[in-house]
Amino acid sequence: MAKVAMTVNGKAVALELEDRTLLVDALRDALGLTGTHVGCDSTQCGCCTVHLDGRSVKSCSMLAPQADGRAILTIEGLAGIEGPGSGDALHPVQQAFTECHALQCGFCTPGMIMAAAGLLAENPAPTEEEIVHALEGNLCRCTGYVNIVSAVQRAAELMRG
Amino acid sequence: MRKPVWPPLARERVHFVGQPVAAVIAESAAAAADAAELVQIEYRDLAPVTTLADALREGAPQLHAEAPGNLAFDFESGDAAAAEAAFAKAAHVSRLTLRSQRLVGNPMEPRACAASHDAGTAIYTIYTPTQGVNGMRGALSALTNVPRERLRIVAQDVGGSFGIRSPAYPEHAVVMAAAKRLGRPVKWVGTRSEVFLGDNQGRALELTGELALDATGRILALRWDHVANLGAYATPFGAWVGTRNLTVTMGGVYRIPVLYGRARCVYTNTAPVSAYRGAGRPDIAFAIERLIEYAAAEHGLDPIEFRRRNFVPAEAMPYKTANGTVYDSGDFAAVMDDALARAGHAGFAARRAEAAARGKLRGIGVAAYLEAAGAGAAPKDQVRGRFGADGFLTVWTLTQSGGQGHETTFAEIVASGLGVPIERVRIRASDPEADLVGSGVGGSRSLAGCGSACRVLADRIVEQARPFAAEALEAAPEDLEYARGAFTIKGTGRAIGLFALAERLAGPTPHPLDALGEGTFGATFPNGCHVAEVEIDPDTGATRIVRYTAVDDIGTVVSPALARGQVHGGVVQGAGQVFGEQAIYAPDSGQLLTASFADYPMPRAGIIERFDVHPHPVPTGTNVLGAKGVGESGCSGSLPALANAVLDALRPLGIATLDLPFTPARLWEAIAAARGRALSRRAHAPQV
Repeated sequence: MAKVAMTVNGKAVALELEDRTLLVDALRDALGLTGTHVGCDSTQCGCCTVHLDGRSVKSCSMLAPQADGRAILTIEGLAGIEGPGSGDALHPVQQAFTECHALQCGFCTPGMIMAAAGLLAENPAPTEEEIVHALEGNLCRCTGYVNIVSAVQRAAELMRG
Repeated sequence: MRKPVWPPLARERVHFVGQPVAAVIAESAAAAADAAELVQIEYRDLAPVTTLADALREGAPQLHAEAPGNLAFDFESGDAAAAEAAFAKAAHVSRLTLRSQRLVGNPMEPRACAASHDAGTAIYTIYTPTQGVNGMRGALSALTNVPRERLRIVAQDVGGSFGIRSPAYPEHAVVMAAAKRLGRPVKWVGTRSEVFLGDNQGRALELTGELALDATGRILALRWDHVANLGAYATPFGAWVGTRNLTVTMGGVYRIPVLYGRARCVYTNTAPVSAYRGAGRPDIAFAIERLIEYAAAEHGLDPIEFRRRNFVPAEAMPYKTANGTVYDSGDFAAVMDDALARAGHAGFAARRAEAAARGKLRGIGVAAYLEAAGAGAAPKDQVRGRFGADGFLTVWTLTQSGGQGHETTFAEIVASGLGVPIERVRIRASDPEADLVGSGVGGSRSLAGCGSACRVLADRIVEQARPFAAEALEAAPEDLEYARGAFTIKGTGRAIGLFALAERLAGPTPHPLDALGEGTFGATFPNGCHVAEVEIDPDTGATRIVRYTAVDDIGTVVSPALARGQVHGGVVQGAGQVFGEQAIYAPDSGQLLTASFADYPMPRAGIIERFDVHPHPVPTGTNVLGAKGVGESGCSGSLPALANAVLDALRPLGIATLDLPFTPARLWEAIAAARGRALSRRAHAPQV
């Protein structure tokens, strides 16, 4: 068993887990944060994307013990981190996904939003080509991606203010 | 039809790789996976058949004793003798074989189910993503012999369906049996590997078409010979895909005096095939429009004029096809003209020349598609409206959203019908206690069926409320008028709002204003014209979809943003089939070689560079909304439009046809072979 102490969505958590536990399973099963989805078993689909110390990672492809001492942000913690104070305000990427009808079934959406937020944290004004490149590791079966790309552009606008 | 039994766990023989053979129940998924490692099964290898050609070969290994020759049945539609006569007098004939390759549905949420069993009432409660609780209840009852009334199905958010979630699966039965035996809830959540191996798959059709033309380019007859790969077992929809859905619109948008189609449904050692976005209708649309384009090229006809000359004219509506299907409405020429104008079709030659100067092969593809939607299996569609103490009208439906946005569209229909704010209406699917009648999601029918029932519900509520409003206002019912959510005594300002009235009447259950909306709504024929423009790099075989224009007659549009989203998704799903997706089974071992997203290329962001979507509504009279359905029109248009665009780009090299998918490797090889032929022709040319 491994002891894992990490910060998840701003809160310190301490868990005792089997060594082989994947980060995504720790988030979903041990912490009940089921907004992070599992869509494949080969690190291809990106449904499980979260932020690890501010960078987007696929939480199915790292062990929970590897997150010891690190800060994790999941979709549940995204609202309210941008802008002044309010914990209820949607993150600009969430807001943009809503405005642009960038989701249909919604299963890929948490991962898409975390990947997009990760991109915009690194590159506040991405070109369409850069957006497409950044979303290469996130699959969606419903939308044809058209409105997702538009939403990332819209989010960039919202974040620039 | 010869239909072998499909046991939840394989008995004696395993008929396809991925068929469940044993179940392990444990306290956690990890423990179950560990325990599954301990299961040892000794298999004796039998020779597999995976392809249609292998399955139908003389002396082929037989899957099921009940189905000699691996043939489930032989089906025909139309008039074979009339077709024979028409072909005998034809001035031109074209013949083309097309394959709509086997695909994996791959909704992003893998299949899952959780079941519990109440020993006191003998009722099972089953949580599972599905396309409609009624259909699932019937399918599970048939699979398990548990009476329908003892099955309580709960489906909430569904992570994409695309057809594969209609039927009951072996895992449902196993989980139910385990829950009963253990007296505890039991859950199964599929992995993506299990999705690839165990979900019903799609397409897997071979379609051979023959077109008979007179000397002026009028179509005299169209004849089809189809072979459908059912997989190892017949799913409830597998044979429907390979027969009815391939033949119901087998003449497409064209006025063709003679139609004939034959279809054979065949068993192979592969995952069973079921409905997948369009379920045979995109496949026949693809085959028709490829054949039209091929015939035009073969006989030197302008493909646009050839189509125009043969369209069913708008004034011929309603039009009964030669095999008895009645198209209620449509204006195919106007839709095509609209699409060609928006796509800049007239300016294409210059764009092709510009691309050629950069060493690229540019092609344009047009597809005028039509598909059959709307009619459901249930005798009617019902929705129930319930006024709650919370001040909301909750509408229960049977059709289950898997991302189509019913919660928005149906709420818009009810709210606009009542003249109340949309926020006051809530849509809920899958009421586990409901005794409603109706079909689930499938065949692009939810709007035409369930949406129409929502429209009827609004009218019913107003009529049901009228006497109560009259009592409240102390007026005669006929002196009231209803508008903008309130009853008003004509000519006065005295009024009562619908929700204020509902609040006054609150108390008894059911609420006096609770109502049923229902009706029987007929088939519709969504159609359209899609124009695709592609650019192929001959050095790599890679294709860019540089421009895509979709003009669709989906009838009346209720939610423009949602309808556009459906077209986007459907077109890109077609693009996935045209450029990459294919489920390949090794012929010698029956192993699925493309069993992960690493081996099975799903379409990714940016696949279409410029994408224009425009509705061109010609409302239908077969339902109260005038809506035709939009779920599957996207891939019905994009399969042929994209395929025609690629073949148009390759035509100058002498390539007239090519099997899907058009992967870079396949295109590069085809281009290299064509150039090799050209080189060797040059080498053998007489020297001067």
